[in-house]
Formats: sequence, C-alpha cells, structure tokens
Amino acid sequence: MSAGRQGSEPLLRVSDLRVAFATEGEPVRAVDGVSFELAAGEVLAIVGESGSGKSVTAQTLIGLTRGPNARIEGSVALAGRELLGAREAELRRVRGERIGMIFQDPMSSFNPVYRIGAQVVEAIRAHRPQVSRGEARERAVELLDSVGIPDPQRRVDSYPHEFSGGMRQRAMIAMALALEPQILIADEPTTALDVTIQAQILELLRRLNRERGLATILITHDFGVVAEIADRVLVMHGGRIVERGGLDEVFYSPRDPYTRRLLDAVVRLDRAPPLRPSRGEPPLLEVSDLVKHFPVRRGLLVDREVDRVRAVDGVSFSVARGETLGLVGESGSGKSTLSRAVLQLLEPTSGSVRFEGREIAGLSRRRMRPLRPAMQMVFQDTSTSLNPRRRIGQIVGEPLRVQGVASGRELRGRARELLERVGLPAAHYERYPHELSGGQRQRVGIARALALEPKLVIADEPVSALDASIRAQILDLMTELQGEFGLTYVFVAHDIGVVRHVSDRIAVMHEGRIVEQGPADRVCERPSDPYTKKLLAAVPVPDPREARARRASSVP
Amino acid sequence: MESRSPWYLAYRRLRRNRVALSFGALFVAIALFALAAPLWASDVAHTTPNATHTTETVEVGGEQREVVDREGGPIGPLWLGAGGRFFLGADGHLGRDEMVRLMYGGRTSLFVGVTAALITVLLATLLGLLSGYYRGWVDGLIARVLDVVWAFPVTLLGAALGLALALGGLRIGPIVISGDSVWVPILIIGFVYAPYVTRPVRGEVLALREQEFVEAAVSQGAGPLRIMFGELLPNVLSTLIVFFAISVANSMLLESMLSFLGVGVQPPNTSWGTMIAEGFELITSSPLLTVLPGAMLLLTVLAVNVFADGLRDALDPRAKRRLEVHAGQTEPEGTAA
Amino acid sequence: MARFAVRRLAGAAAVLFAVSVLVFVIFNVIPNADPARQLAGRTANPQLIASITREWGFDDPLPEQYLRMMQNILTGKVISYETEENVDERIVEGIPETFSLAVGAAAIWMFFGILFGYLSAVRAGGPLDRGLTVLAVTGISMPVFWLAAILLNYLAYELELLPAGGYVGFTENPLEWAQHLILPWVTLAIVYVGLYSRVLRSNMLDAMGADYVRTARAKGLSEHRVMTRHVLRNSLIPIVTLFGLDFGALLGGVIVVEGIFNLNGVGQYAYESLINLDLPPIMAITLFGAFFIVLFNALVDVVYAFLDPRVKLGSPAR
Repeated sequence: MSAGRQGSEPLLRVSDLRVAFATEGEPVRAVDGVSFELAAGEVLAIVGESGSGKSVTAQTLIGLTRGPNARIEGSVALAGRELLGAREAELRRVRGERIGMIFQDPMSSFNPVYRIGAQVVEAIRAHRPQVSRGEARERAVELLDSVGIPDPQRRVDSYPHEFSGGMRQRAMIAMALALEPQILIADEPTTALDVTIQAQILELLRRLNRERGLATILITHDFGVVAEIADRVLVMHGGRIVERGGLDEVFYSPRDPYTRRLLDAVVRLDRAPPLRPSRGEPPLLEVSDLVKHFPVRRGLLVDREVDRVRAVDGVSFSVARGETLGLVGESGSGKSTLSRAVLQLLEPTSGSVRFEGREIAGLSRRRMRPLRPAMQMVFQDTSTSLNPRRRIGQIVGEPLRVQGVASGRELRGRARELLERVGLPAAHYERYPHELSGGQRQRVGIARALALEPKLVIADEPVSALDASIRAQILDLMTELQGEFGLTYVFVAHDIGVVRHVSDRIAVMHEGRIVEQGPADRVCERPSDPYTKKLLAAVPVPDPREARARRASSVP
Repeated sequence: MESRSPWYLAYRRLRRNRVALSFGALFVAIALFALAAPLWASDVAHTTPNATHTTETVEVGGEQREVVDREGGPIGPLWLGAGGRFFLGADGHLGRDEMVRLMYGGRTSLFVGVTAALITVLLATLLGLLSGYYRGWVDGLIARVLDVVWAFPVTLLGAALGLALALGGLRIGPIVISGDSVWVPILIIGFVYAPYVTRPVRGEVLALREQEFVEAAVSQGAGPLRIMFGELLPNVLSTLIVFFAISVANSMLLESMLSFLGVGVQPPNTSWGTMIAEGFELITSSPLLTVLPGAMLLLTVLAVNVFADGLRDALDPRAKRRLEVHAGQTEPEGTAA
Repeated sequence: MARFAVRRLAGAAAVLFAVSVLVFVIFNVIPNADPARQLAGRTANPQLIASITREWGFDDPLPEQYLRMMQNILTGKVISYETEENVDERIVEGIPETFSLAVGAAAIWMFFGILFGYLSAVRAGGPLDRGLTVLAVTGISMPVFWLAAILLNYLAYELELLPAGGYVGFTENPLEWAQHLILPWVTLAIVYVGLYSRVLRSNMLDAMGADYVRTARAKGLSEHRVMTRHVLRNSLIPIVTLFGLDFGALLGGVIVVEGIFNLNGVGQYAYESLINLDLPPIMAITLFGAFFIVLFNALVDVVYAFLDPRVKLGSPAR
C-alpha cells in the first residue's frame, strides 16, 4: 500500500467543515468542525458509528448535501481550488473528473431501467461530449474489464439486477473511475456485501490505489476493513474528529477514550469464550435431514412446479441443553430459513425436528401452540420486529396474553420486570419503538423472547444491525441471561467473529447444507472444509500487523 | 417524559397544517349548513323541500310577485327580501324553495357519500385483511371477484344496478329496502368502489405480513384473528383513514352523477345531483339552478380532498420528507444507542 | 410470452363471461321491464304481448335466454327491444365519435398532466407548485357533468364561442370536428389532468431522493439530465400503467359527456338505453366496455414489462 508522496501539497484540504440540517425540531449538527487533509495517492479511512457524521462529511465534499434545509460552512479545497461555495456548474466538472464516488448499496445506486454500459457511457459523455457513443462503449468495456468483471463485452449490455452484488459494486467502481479522477470517495462500499465478496472488493481498491496512485477516502464503521486498507485513519464521533493518525498509531496507541472503547469492543469479539463443560444429557434439540424447498411455479394455463429453490437442503445437527450453537453462513446460505423451519414458523418440506425428544416437524398450528413457549426467537431487524403501533410494555407482555398465562395487573408487572431484567428502566413500558435506539429495541426483543420462560432461544442475527460498541453490550446481556435462566441458544449470524465469541460449537452453512460443524475453536483454527477456510480467510482482522502478515503469506 | 404515540405525532403534524385545517373547517361549515335544513325550512322559509308553490305569490318590498310566472319561469333569488323565503329563488315551474332544497340536498348527498365510503372501507378492510393474511386460494378467489367488478365501467355498473334496484327494490333475507330508499345508492356506491380500495389495502397487508413482528406473533402462538386485528390492522389504519376521506369525495361525485342520470337518489329525496339534473333543463333561462348545487358539490368535495391530503401528510411523514431530500442529501443519521 | 398470452386470454374470457352473466341477471331482476311490452310498443294488448313472448322466447328458462342473447351479440344480430334496430350496428356507428372524444381528451390530459406534474416537482414547495396543486385538486374534485353543463351554457349558448354540441366527422371538416369537440375534451380531461399531475409530482419527489439519482449527480451530470433521463424516466412508468387502466375504463366516463354535448357516440347510446330499460344494448355496450378494460389491463402489463427490465411478463403490474 503506497503511503503517498510525502511533503508535497495535500490534494484535498478540508477546514472546519460544518453541516447542519433543519428538521421539525432543533437543527441537527451532523458535522461539527471537521478538518483534515488528503495527500495524493494515500488511503484515508474515516471510521465511526452511525450518527457520527462520516457519510455526511463524504457527501459534502462534492456538494451532494446541498439543499434548502442544509447549512454548510467551512472550506473544502481541491488542489487549492475552493469547492464549498462553488457554482453548481463548476462542481459538476469536478464530480467524476477529479473526484469519483461510490456508495453503499450498488443495487439501488444504479438506475434499474438502463443497462450498465449505458450508465457508464453517460458518465463519460457528460464530461467529454465529443467522444462518440461507439468509442464511449469501447471504453466502458475496457473499464469493466479493468475491475475484474468477466466477459465484459457481453456484460456491458446487462441490466443492474442481472449482476451479482459484488459485480455491481465493481461496475460502480469502474463507472466512478471512468474519467480517471485523482480521488475516489467510497462510502461504506462493502457494508452491504458478503464477507467473501468484501475481501475481493477491498483487494480491488488496494490494487487501484497501488497501480494508479488513486487517493481514496474510505468511509466505514468496520475496523477490520480499516486495518486491511488504510494508510491513515480519522475516527469520528458526534460530528467531530476525535482521533487521527497513521494506521498503526491509531490501532495500537489510541489517545482518545472513545476510540479506545470502540477498539476494545471490536477486538474483544475476536477472543474465544471459555469452554463450557458438556453434561452428557440427551440433546434438547435434534434436527435430522431437514429440508425446506420453495417451489417455483410456472405453466401454460395452470401453475405447475418446474423448479425448486433449495433453501435448506438436508441439514442435521443437535443442540445440548445449556449450550450455544453458532450457525454461520453468508446471505443465501439458508440459515434464516433454517431457523424458521426449526421453530415451525415455516412448514418443513421433509425431515425431522425433535424438541425434548418430541417430534414437532409439520405439526398443525393448534398442536404447536402449547409447545411454543418453550422455543422462542430473537429477530434481526429491530425496526420491523416490533409493532410500531404498540407500546414497549404491550409488546413484551403480549406473549403472556396470547398464551393466556397472565392478564391485567399481573401482566403489566411481569412485563416491567422483564424490561428491567434486560437493562431497560421500567418506565420505558409506555414508550413506542420509534422512541428507542437500535440497541434498546433489541433489548426489548430479547425481553419479549424471554417472557414465556423458554428453554430454547434462536437468535437470528441479533446484533448485525447494531453498532460495534452496542454489539458487545447485547452479547454480554445474552450470555448473562443464558446463565441466569439456563437457556439454550442457537445463534445465527454471518459474522464468524461474533459467532465465535459466544458459541460452544459452530456449524457452517453454505447453499442450504452444513459443510462443517464442531467445537468453536476447532472450526475457527483448524477448519477442514474448503468453504470454511475461504470464509475464515476473508474475514477482515481488526489488527493491521496481522492483516499485513496474512496478505504477505497469501501472495504466491 | 411524555411518550409520543405515532397517532399523537400525526395529530401534531396535522395541527400545523393550516391549509388542511381550514378546508376541514369548510367541510364542517357545509355539513352544519346541511344539517340546519329542517330548522331553516320550518322557521325561516316556512315550507318543505318538496312543497310546490306554483300558483302562489310572495310579498317583496311591498308588492306581490308570482313565484312562477306564466311562462313557467321561476322567481329569482330574493335574499332576505321576503324574510328568508325563497332566499335563493324558486326552482323551475314547480316553484319549490331553492334554498331549502339546497340544504336538504346537501343532507342527502353528504349522508350518501359518507355512508357509502364507510361501507367501501369496511369491505376493503375485511377483504384486504383476509386476502393479505391467508394468501393462497382465499386471495385468489377474492382477486377474481374483484377483477370482475373492476372490469365493469364504473358508471355503467352503478347505473345498471341503480336502475334495477330503483325499480324493484332490494330484498336480502328478512331485510327489505324499497326502490326509492336512499340506501339503494348507498349500497351500490359502497360496493362499486370497494375493489379500488381493496387492492391497495391488500398490497399493504401483504407487505406488512412479511415483517418480523408478525413472525414474532406467530412464534407466540397467536392465531389468525389476533394477528389480523391485533398486528396488521393497527398498521393499515392510517392508510384506511386516508382512503376513507378520499372515498367520501369520490362517493359524493358518483352519487351526483348517478342521480343526474336518474339512477341514483330517487324522488321524493333530493340530492345535489338531482338538483343539477332538474336545473339543466332550464339552464339557459335560470342558470343559477344548475350553478348552485354544482358549486356546493365542488366546494364540498374540494374541502374533503384537501383535508385528505393533509391527513396523508400527517399520517405518513415520508411524504413531507421528500421535499427535504430534493438535493439528494441523506437524512441525518439517527442517534447512536 | 406465449404463456402470458394464453393465460391472459383465458382469464379475460372468464371475466367477460362473468360480466355478461352479471348484467343479464341484474336486468332480469327488474319486475317492471317486460321486454314483450316494450316490443309491443304503443298498441300493446295482452294477446300481442303474449304472442311476442312466445315468439321471442321470453318465457323460456333464463339460462336459455342468456345463451341466445350472447349468441346474438357475438354474431351481430342483436335487436333492441325499444327501437328494433340492430344494436351492434348502432354501436359501430357510434365508435368514431366516442373514439374522437376519448383520444383527444387523453392527448390533452397526458400533455398537461405530465407538464404540470413535472413543473410542480421541479419547483416543489414554491409558488408555482402551490398554484398548480390548487388547480390539480380542484380538477380532481370537479363534477364532470356539471362542468359540462356550465361550459355548454356559458361558452356555447351565451357567448357563442363554440358550437353547442353535436358532432362533425373529421373527414367532413377537420376544423369543425375540433371545434365541436373542444368543450367535451376539456370537460373530460380536467379530472385526469389534476390526477396525473399529482401522481407524477409524487413519483418524481420520491425518485429525487433515490440512490441512483445521487449517483447520477455524483457522476457530474447536469441537473437537467438528472431530472429528465433519471427522475422523469423512472417516474413515468407508473403513469403509463395508470393511463392504460384509465383509458380502458373511459367508456364509463364518456356516457354523461356525450349525453350533454349530444355527440351520438356509444356513450350516449348507453345513456338512452338505460333510461328506456333496453336490455340488449345495455348488455352489448357493457360487454364492449368490459372488453376494453380487460384488453387494456393486459396491454398495461406488457408495456410495463417492456419499460421496466426488472419485471418479467406474467407478474402483475399493480
């Protein structure tokens, strides 16, 4: 990774940048006095949690936040030329030609009705109208090829939805670099991608930086990503920069307490938990050859099944009482479908699910009802897992009401107890979900799952949507509760680091099958399956020295 | 700290929308106008909406004037010239008090519009919930039925039903509704518009059904009724409210069109639609008889539509936020946990 | 593509069948409408009515009567009870008038609806937007038949700016054809102009906040290009589908306008038949109208799949 030319004028100088948005209430100060410099050819990472102002900063650099409700002050100078107050026409010349930008979600960032090639051509011809359409198309093909898209002659005429996520992001990068800008701003470019794809994209960005001297500003919340690619790091919190320095400096000797807290929360996830002794009892949950297929129907007059989506394709595992089984897989691996099929929220196509020795696969809703309290679920997306029209207390007490276990005052009392048990003040009973933060909402989700005193709790990506510092808290809470209530967990996630932190045993899922399972340490340190190996290799390590060592050893 | 339910927040947003509120007040004023009909009729105009005064005279400023002259032309607006009688003049050769008719017509039009809208929304809610929750063959069946109703040109369907039922009345089991009852157009309009509201409601229910809080309810053992009415319904309620308001507007327009064609409200009932039809025959000589009821109708429907807009903005703030996103800026990121 | 066509055809046939049965049932519920009496006309007496009943088969079981009527309609041999003329012929005669009215109004409402919607969205929040919104909401709230009556009275009768109804064929005299149609066009279009401008405005405002618009700006495209090639292009897709559905259903809407302006099209025929309780034309016209609705619904799906590459034929556009 090149560290840029030292001692020359900075390519980009940002001074005392401030951005405030008018809202229904008080104006929000998203960026509150940010100053930094970007040298030619260097990779600068701006890292922070949600709400830190990192994205707004990035978008303000090329004037994307301009609008009737935004007040922008300060200075952004590109090679000495002031951008902040520049006229729209001037800014347009800078965008794409001097500074390119890519965004988080490549699917929604491309216009779905135009072909990829056409959109790249559009970028080219907007700045170079003298270039003919044919020439521009040729250039588009070249660009797609340069970012590693196979078969670019054909792919240039594809629509965005016909590309996979990783390909789309590559195409976005190609389009952003079409006019060979000196700077690339990447706003959370890999957050929406699977970890194996993320590794590829990061490799691509590294290569572009190395080969072309492309200065890069990378916005992210993931310290692992930072460790893999950055030269220098800025840590943002509450609209301000709280820490700045070289990569190793920030990671190994952070000065700011917030940065230290963040790094602690992140690094901790990498350590393995103490082993829990097994107790030699019959397993609480036994899943054998579970299959869930979704039929694809097609036909001339009447729909007939022509194909199946094999979401879960013959899965077997067991979970002992009191243990935590970590189920890890990327998107599309079938892990979410599996957890729902186990809980009979989806009817399995075939196979067996035995809970406490009793077969529950395919039971009717009526027969399942009395069994439900013993097996509950914690969901991923806190904004959709709580009914927005209900108060927190009602949400937590609902399971008791549904099962007819309690009502009236007793119900309210128990709901309040549950809230306190998960670390929320009982007064939050009256609040609505939208008044709580993501972490608080997840606590509510956990409280709800515990209301019926279950034996088994399946947690489907419970911390994926949360910031790193909150993640640790929630995981700790879950571990505490496990000890206190004697719970058995199946912990489903795509982040193997998180899974390792809490699990006794790990099962790795890929394309509907479990490709490897065993004790957590063994699976993570001595994996036998090639997919598991690939997965582990792709996970970014939030430790720069280790990251460099790994890269060095993998170069042929 | 006072907790703010989504409803309260919507109420506050609505309160800030002065345009919507003033049109809402306009609607209330018109409704009061219509409700005051019996009072005006008995105490001011001293007549009834259907009482004819063909051969009578009325005293205006000392002289006697014929209510209906020899060529059949009605007297024009007297305003307060005769103590409030024939305030807006007489309607055609039957010599009925136009003001009284306008007020009673308003009563009928509003009653039909609101009640029909209620029926539409109730039907749509039921069908939408069933369709969206059960999916499968239930959804298929409901969709087919809606398709058939949808395939009918609305006016033709309304007119055909209106005609048939106006002449023959309706008999559903023990309930008998006579052909000239105002319930005939109410039921017809209510049913005819149901598919147009059911479709979007069904769509919303389908989307909601995929959300995790519904899965959570299932995992607790909740049955279909609890899920439909406890989880899904509260979340489509705001859409239903807006649709109700829009349906009132549309129902009033359809009723007046059907009544104009003679297949809506039947005599002796009066609605603004029937009044427009009657006025149309004399449009060249007494245009006011057509202008007045139509203007009232336009004003009322306009008020409802503007208020419905305000309701939508208040209940679904995403709509307002669009303005703020004009320059492509992102929302300020939410506060951290 | 073939699969889609077959399914749609089958579905359409089923719907049309259901519609025809429904209409037939509705009108045989009416106790007063004795078709034999209608046919007997002025000189009706019990024997004549009885013989007509026998001859025309009015005392046959209903399903038989239904089948016979459907057969007649489809082969073009339906006779009106009231006027004894051939229904299908009269419908065909009325098509040019109705078509002129519909297409002209559609052109007007699409042009102005899109124009106003675009201007409203681009200048959102400003005085132009507010003014256009007022116009739009007024348009949506307008009782069409009343507007027709008012315009007819003031512009045609009083001020004599335009002819007071009637129809002149395009081939006869294009200028007069247009003159006679201006008022009907405007009357019919006003509601849709209001509706479409609001829908487009709303879609465009949504699109303006979309990620791909942000990308377009980040590429350095001019504001004009962003608005037209990205925002407008994507916002027009739902407008096109809406148009298909509305145009298909237009037969219902023209009934009153044709009646008031005396355009002698299919709509006016429908109106007269309703008043006279004349079942055969009502059935035929209703089927005609339903056919168009179903046809345009299918067309809309095809066009939508063409405009939005994410959509595959066969999935519903709505």
